[in-house]
Parts: sequence; structure tokens; C-alpha cells
Amino acid sequence: MSDMTELAEPVETGNRMRDEIRSISNRARARRQVRSRIMFALCAVALLVTAVPLVLLLFQLFNRGLPVVLHTAFYTQLPQTPTLITPNATGGVSNAILGTLVLTLYASVMAIPVGVLVGVYLAESDSKLAATLRVISQTMAGAPSILMGLFAFSFIVRDLHVGFSAIAGSFALAVLMLPVIVISSEIAVRGVPHTLREAGLALGAKPHKVSMKIVLPAAVTGIVTGIILAMSRAIGETAPVLLVIGGGYINSWKPLDPVSALPLSIYENAKSEWPSLRTEVWGIALVLVVFVFVLSLSARIWASRKQQAR
Amino acid sequence: MSIVIPPPPDFTTHDEGLAEFNSASPSRSWYHYLLILASIVFAAMSVGFIGTILWNALPEFEHHTGTLLGGNGWQSPAGPFGGLAMIVGTLETSVVALVIAVLIGLGTSISIVFLLPRRFRNIVATLVELLAAVPSVVYGLWGFLVLAPWMLKTVIPWLNSWPFAKDLFGNPGQQDGQSLLLASIVLAVMILPTFVAISREVISVVPNDLIEASLSLGATRWQMIREVVLPTAKIGLFGATFLALARATGETVAVALVAGGVANVQFHLLYPGTSIAAWIATEFGEAQGNEIAALMALGVLLMLVNFGLSLISRWLVSRQRKVLAVV
Repeated sequence: MSDMTELAEPVETGNRMRDEIRSISNRARARRQVRSRIMFALCAVALLVTAVPLVLLLFQLFNRGLPVVLHTAFYTQLPQTPTLITPNATGGVSNAILGTLVLTLYASVMAIPVGVLVGVYLAESDSKLAATLRVISQTMAGAPSILMGLFAFSFIVRDLHVGFSAIAGSFALAVLMLPVIVISSEIAVRGVPHTLREAGLALGAKPHKVSMKIVLPAAVTGIVTGIILAMSRAIGETAPVLLVIGGGYINSWKPLDPVSALPLSIYENAKSEWPSLRTEVWGIALVLVVFVFVLSLSARIWASRKQQAR
Repeated sequence: MSIVIPPPPDFTTHDEGLAEFNSASPSRSWYHYLLILASIVFAAMSVGFIGTILWNALPEFEHHTGTLLGGNGWQSPAGPFGGLAMIVGTLETSVVALVIAVLIGLGTSISIVFLLPRRFRNIVATLVELLAAVPSVVYGLWGFLVLAPWMLKTVIPWLNSWPFAKDLFGNPGQQDGQSLLLASIVLAVMILPTFVAISREVISVVPNDLIEASLSLGATRWQMIREVVLPTAKIGLFGATFLALARATGETVAVALVAGGVANVQFHLLYPGTSIAAWIATEFGEAQGNEIAALMALGVLLMLVNFGLSLISRWLVSRQRKVLAVV
């Protein structure tokens, strides 16, 4: 019996300690849970804070842009400067639409062959040149676009005496597109399974035949995706074209003519004093955004085709 | 995919077989020379890019480096051309924008990955990436025509109702609403999709094993994120942050539209100011002779800042990779 009374006390102390520990840990857990809830609530607020301005932006773009883009004159006429007698005569932006297409076309013609070849070279070579070019392309990919404008101005417009022209603008855009195409082509070529290459070599094909006839076709989806992304980036750039294309009020596809571009006319119309031009600018912005979205979405579709093929 | 370029994969690891077979190949075909030719064209273009801007900026750096780095005020067309206002303006706008964008963007990415139902996750991710592709001039336009009047009518009176706000932000009175603060807000809205697109991707590839292990040890969901997800995703988050910062410092037209374009050192964010890139864009049209050299010199500064940022981010990423490799 004496043993029992001696035992009872430690058990009771143990129980008390256990309860104490439980209540402390319960309180700690409750605190942790509350903290977790609060932080997640803050994250949800952050999501809202991100969404509201972006949704507002898109809504206002469509709301104010749609009435403008529904007129055919918007696409077919040249811009006019409103006067006091005709304050609503804004004309259209045919020159800017054509200019943007022309600029992107010339820039792509310049940038795509070089970019893809450099990408293939980087993926297949281990030389010092390749390592240097890799660093250069990754650094250039993030370079501010205004610098491309400065380069195109001093080199093409001034030193080569070409003047303000479509070709100077597309040169600036080509410099902008090149690193993007190089990087994405390298990734695409490196993504081709080694077994394909080895199978070609095992059949006795020369290395350059393997590279051209087997590796390039296998990587083509990735390369095209990169090219489309580079184009969608170039199409919306204002800063480089602002310095060099001259903003011509003519419909022209000739490389040496001064042209206009959608981003440039957005910039100029927004700063104008005429309310009618400030209304029209939403339409131009809508057209530009639709261009970019179509390009981005088609890049996505290309990329998903690639995944299905695998 | 969107125009967002993710931090590039690390190719420094030696690709044994491929390089060996290439260097060992005895047939130097025309294809091989074509590749090398393209690479030389690309290299020449890059050297020309940097060289041309440096060369054109040289006269300014030879004679007026001090004015350019420390002078206030831009006397067009004869000079002196002080660049301090643009340097300070670039720092202010991009740092404020980055702080806003990273804090909000991180929360957004966490909610997209861990809070949203699975069905919405892909839709929201696609939307964010599409928004990252919207040209910056559209953000500038929106800031200029929608946000500036709103700042003037709502935000500035509200800010001024707080004590000490006038000392901190300044009181611009009746102006057109364009200010360094507005430029920062537009920049933040603009770089948010870029930051979210990358950081969401980085967070969502954190291995499920790690997440489940931490939850099974009794961590709350927030502890799981703080102790496991964020440390694991640190590399990519750094990459996203520096990419966003590089984009903010180099942004031109959006800032040119909303910052006000005043070349004056300004620490009160409600007053108008300008940034390096925006100043080049607005002044270049009428610039002649010396002023072109001065603007080119500003371009050199911008290039140094941008290349520096990109080198730092590469170094951080490689260091973090080494740390992870040891673990």
C-alpha cells in the first residue's frame, strides 16, 4: 500500500505537467494557425491589388478603344491634324499600321537567320567564342531598348548618311530581337535528345548533315516560338523607333522612307492637346495590344504542339 | 510563354560528348563556316553597339565628367548638361517600383500557387503572362490619361491629409498630376506581370516532397512557405527581382509620359522629375552637337547600370547553385 501512495504522486505531477505542456503547445499552435491565416489573407489581398489595376487597364482599353476601331477610316486613312473648324478630323492610322508591319518584317529578315545560326553554334560548340557570345547575348537580352535607338541613330542615320528611315528603325529592332532569338534557339537545339543525333551519326551521316537535317528540324518548334516572342517584343517597342524612323505621314513600304509605327503614334497622340486625338489613341493602343496578344497566343500554341509531339 | 525571358539555364557544365565530336570532326564543311560567320556578325554587332555609344559619348566624358555625374540642371542647347537629376530620378522611381512590385508580386504568386483552385490556376497564369507582353507604351498611356487625373483628384489630397506627408512627399499644388510617384506606380504595375510570371513558375516547381514533409512535421501552411518554399525558390526569386529591376531602370516611354520631364534633383516624390532613359527619349529629337554627346553619355551610364545589374544577377544565381549543389 505504501508503494501505491508513493507512486501516486509522480503520476499526478506527470499528469499536471502533461496538461501544462498540452495547453502551452495548444496555445502555440493556435498562434501559429492565426499567423498563417493572417499571412494568407495578406497574400490574397496582394492578388487583388495586382488584379485590380491590370483588369481596369484592360477594361478601359477595350471600352474606350472599341468605338474607335470600328470605323473603317481608322484603317484606311492617313492621320490628319485637327483644326479649330474641324476638331474631330483625326483621319486614320494606316501609315502606322503599315509602318509597324514593315518594320517588323525587315527586322525579322535581318535578325532571324543570324540569330538562329548563332543559337545553333552556341548549342554545338564549346569554344571560347561560344562562351563569350553566350554572356553577350544574355546581357544584351536585358539591355534597355533606348540604347538600340542611340546605336541605330549614330550608326545608320548619321554615320552611313541613311537618314531617318524604316531601315534604321528595323535595324534597331533587329538588334533588340537578336539576343532573344539566340537564347531561345540555343535552348531549343540543346533540348533535342542526344539519341537522335547519335542515331544519325551511327548511320554514317556527316556531323553537319546531322545538325542540318536531323537536329534543326527536331528543334524547329522551339525556334519558331522564340522568333514569335522576339517579334511580339519588337512590335511594341517605342523607344528605339522614336529616335530613328522619322514619323512620316505617308503609306510606304520602302526601306529608305521615313515611316510611322503604332507605338510611336500612341506616344505622339497621347501628348497632343486635341481631345479627339486623345480619344483615338485608345483605338491605336487596342490594335497594338491585339497584335501582341495574337503573336503571344500563337507562340503558346506552337509551344503546346511541341509538347504534344514529345 | 510570353516575352518574359526566364533566367537562362546554366550551360557551364561541360557537354562532353557533343563538344568532343564537334572538335574531333575532321570535315570543316561550309555549314560549319556559316555558323562561325553568323557568330562573328553577332559579335561584331554587339561590339559595334557598345563601341558606337561609347565613342559618341567620349567628348562629353573627356571634358565634363564631373558635371554629368554631379551637376544639376540641363541647359539646352549649349550646356552645361548636369545628369544628377536623371540619375537620382532613375534610382528613386525604380527602387520604389521594385519594392511595391516585389512585395505585392510575391504575395500574388503565393496565392496563385497555393490559394487558387486548380481550375483557375492555369487561366490566371496565362493571363499574367499575356499582360507581361503588353507594350510598355500602353501602360504609359494608361498612367498618363487615367492615373494622372486620379492622382490629382484623389491621391494627393488624401496623402496631404496625413501629418508630415507634406514634408515627406512635398505638396505640388495644382499641377497636371505627373510626378515621380506616379512614374513609380506605373512602373510597378508594368513590372508586376513580369515578376509574377517568373516567380510563380519558380514557386510552383518547388518539389512536392519537401512541401509534404514540412506539413507532416506539423508546420502550418505559412511556416511551410516561409521555411521550405521561399528558401528553395530563392535563386529564381532573385533572378526575377533583378530582371524586374533591370526592366524598371531601362523603361523609357512609360516614364517619359508620366514622370513630368523636369530635370531637377527631387527627393519629394510628388514633384515631377525624370529618368535617364526618359530624358534621352524626350530630348533627343531637338538635340544638336554637344547635347547629343551628353545624351549618349547618359546612355553609357544607363548601359553600365543595366549590365552591372545583369552581371550581379548572374553571379548570385551561380553562387546559389553552388550552395544548392553542396546541400
